[in-house]
Amino acid sequence: MVYARTLGSTTYTFQVSGRLWRNSLIMVDRETGTFWSQVTGRAIDGKHRGAQLEKVEAIETTWEQWRQAHPDTKLLKKSEEVLGSHYQSYFDDPEKMGLFRAQWLAERMPGKTLVYGASVGPHAVAVTDGALDDSLVLASLGETPVVMSRARDGGVRAFVARVDGNEIGIQLDAETGEVTDASGSTWDLSSGLCISGPRSGSRLESVAVTPVYWFAWSGFYPNTQVIDRADR
Amino acid sequence: MKRLIGFAVLVGLLVSTPGEAGRPEPKVVATIGGEDVYQLLPVGAIPAIDDPKFVSGKKADRQMRAEEPVLGVVIGGEARAYSLWQLDAHEIVNDEIDGTAIAATW
Repeated sequence: MVYARTLGSTTYTFQVSGRLWRNSLIMVDRETGTFWSQVTGRAIDGKHRGAQLEKVEAIETTWEQWRQAHPDTKLLKKSEEVLGSHYQSYFDDPEKMGLFRAQWLAERMPGKTLVYGASVGPHAVAVTDGALDDSLVLASLGETPVVMSRARDGGVRAFVARVDGNEIGIQLDAETGEVTDASGSTWDLSSGLCISGPRSGSRLESVAVTPVYWFAWSGFYPNTQVIDRADR
Repeated sequence: MKRLIGFAVLVGLLVSTPGEAGRPEPKVVATIGGEDVYQLLPVGAIPAIDDPKFVSGKKADRQMRAEEPVLGVVIGGEARAYSLWQLDAHEIVNDEIDGTAIAATW
């Protein structure tokens, strides 16, 4: 998750608070000591309680795929060699996780299932990896139509499937692999840009995607929709 | 593709290596929205990066494995990648890209 760390005229510097809430990291800013949820970007305690950090679009992928898509990329310099994750045993063990809020969430799918979460206001959706295989996923988050897919660089992106207030009827042509809409326009869902047709040059508004374990996502959004391979 | 795991790894500390010497028991320090807040470590025990340095090109390739997971961001045409293996030890990078101050978190 990446957040803009300026609110109003103040730029905040975040530290790791060492605290955990709803199975996830709490950040604390040096300037005011306010506690912020890493999953939502919302201030949960302290001076700025209720304030919301703006999400910045970011993806998780492999170095190889990122480097191909962005040859000029800069890389955070390593001061020492890092050959793997400290937490590999945690990642690999399906039993190691936090607690579920409710039994029915635990029963929906295994807690360590990786889902791609997106939210608009109080509405949320969790999409599994399998649902994104060679496909795009459409979800209604309240009144907002959202389309999610795997981009060229290996990351997962989501956009509001609406232009000038109108839902565009986006779909994947299984034969050509092109993404088209009801007007006959063709879209690139790596960038959100319309690349040909009547809407050529239009850009869809992006929605932040959070790759996260199911047990954590469902803790924040117990009423989340779930889209799995079987549901799409 | 290797499956990537996008999740703050502090939970890993809560549930990993039980009984490891010197690791304090998690303590409930507050309750927010009816749910307990646990203090696992002192503030800053996992040090965020406040003064990030960057490399690119072949120098970057030499520091990375092809399959190494990264968090990638593009702002104003400038692309930056953060190794998630490296972020395990820091969890937060306070950075600035093209004039926008951001926190890359893991």
